[in-house]
Amino acid sequence: MSTELDVFLFGIMTYAIIMNLGVSLYGVFRRPSITKKIIALTIFSDSANVLAIIVGYRGWPNPWHSPIPPILLNRHPTPQYISEFAKVAVDPLPQALVLTAVVIGLAVTVFLVFLALQLYRLYGTVDVRKVRRLRG
Amino acid sequence: MKGWKHVIAITSLVVSTSVLALATAIGGLGYILPTPGVRDLAYWYLVTVLSPSNKLFTAMSPEAVTSIVWDYRGLDTLFETSVFFLAIIGSIALMRGIKIVPERLRNYSSGMSPIVKTVTRITAGMIIAVAASIALHGHLTPGGGFQGGATAAVAPLLLMVVFSIYFIIKSGITEERMLALRTAGLVGIVFTAFSACIIAASLGTQAYVFQNQPKSTAAVGLPASIMGSLTSGTLIFFNLFEFFAVAAGFTIVFLLLSIPENIVKQALRGVESEH
Repeated sequence: MSTELDVFLFGIMTYAIIMNLGVSLYGVFRRPSITKKIIALTIFSDSANVLAIIVGYRGWPNPWHSPIPPILLNRHPTPQYISEFAKVAVDPLPQALVLTAVVIGLAVTVFLVFLALQLYRLYGTVDVRKVRRLRG
Repeated sequence: MKGWKHVIAITSLVVSTSVLALATAIGGLGYILPTPGVRDLAYWYLVTVLSPSNKLFTAMSPEAVTSIVWDYRGLDTLFETSVFFLAIIGSIALMRGIKIVPERLRNYSSGMSPIVKTVTRITAGMIIAVAASIALHGHLTPGGGFQGGATAAVAPLLLMVVFSIYFIIKSGITEERMLALRTAGLVGIVFTAFSACIIAASLGTQAYVFQNQPKSTAAVGLPASIMGSLTSGTLIFFNLFEFFAVAAGFTIVFLLLSIPENIVKQALRGVESEH
C-alpha cells in the first residue's frame, strides 16, 4: 500500500465525517419534529468527536502501521523507554476532550429529552410549527 | 418565500461543508492526515506523564488521558462537571412536584418472571463490580470516573425495567438520596482540588489549586504511591468522587424518566387547575 493511497483514503474518511456534520445540521435546522432535532444533534456531536479523534491519530512509522494507545505499560519506566513510548503513542489530548464532551453531550441530551417530553405532555405535540402557534 | 428559505439553508450547508473539506485537504489542520508525528504539546504530555526522573512536571500516572483530564487540564474538567450538574438540576427542575406517592408503593405490580429477576440480581452486582473496577483503575488503565459512573448507572436502570420503579423506591434508591450522594461526590471533588493547598497551609507554605505532584514553587503534593501501589496523587480521589457523582446523576435521570405517565399527567392537571 502506498502513502498516497493512504492519504487519499484518509481524505475520503474526513470528508465523509464533515458531510455527516452538514447533514446533521440540516436535520437540526429544517426538521419540524423536536425528537428528530435531538437525534440530529446527537449525530452532530458524535461526528465532531470522531473528527477530533482522527485529528489526534498518527500514522507511525508509516500510515498503515497502527500506533499504540497513550498508556505506559511499564510502572517504573526508564528515560529511554519513555522516549520510545512518545515516538509511537497517539495524541492523548483529543481523547481527553472527547471523553468530557461525550458525558456533557449525554447530560444535555437528557435535558433536551425532558424538555420535549414535558412539551408533549402539556401541548400534545412536538412539532415546532404547531408549538409556535400556541398561546398562553 | 418558504421555498427560498429551504434553498438558502441547503446551499449554505453545502458551501460550508465543501469549504471545510477543502480546508482539511490542503492542510488546514496544520498538516495533511495521517501525520507521522504528534504536536509538540502532545509530545510534552507523553514524555512527562509518568517520569520519575522529571519530578517537577510529571503527573505520576501511566494513563495519559486521565492525567490530562484531572491534572494537566483539571480546571476544564471541573467546569465540565458543573455543566453536567446543571443539566441534571435542570431536569429535576422540569419534573418538580411530580412524585410517586407512598400509598401506591403498597400494591405495586410484581415485575417480570422469576428467571429474569434472578439473572438481574446476579448481573446487577456484576455491573457494579465492573464499574468500580473501571473507576478505581482509571489512573492505571483506560477508564475513569465518568466511564465507571455511566456503567454503574446501568444497574439501577436494569432493576427498574425488571422489578418496576416501585421496587427501586422501596429498596431505598430515591431521588433525594441520589441527590445527596451526588452532592457528596461534588464536595469531594472540590475538597480534592484544594487538598494540596490544605496540606501546604498546615505546613506553613503555599500551593496551587488543582496541584497534584510537588512543583518547584510549591513543594507539597499528594503521595504518588501508597504502600507500594501507584495511586497517582489526586487522580484516584478525583476518579472515585466523579464515579459517585456521575452514577448518582444518571440514576436521578432514570428515576425521573420512569415515573408512570398517569402520575405525571395528574400532577400537571393539578398545576393547571390552580391557575
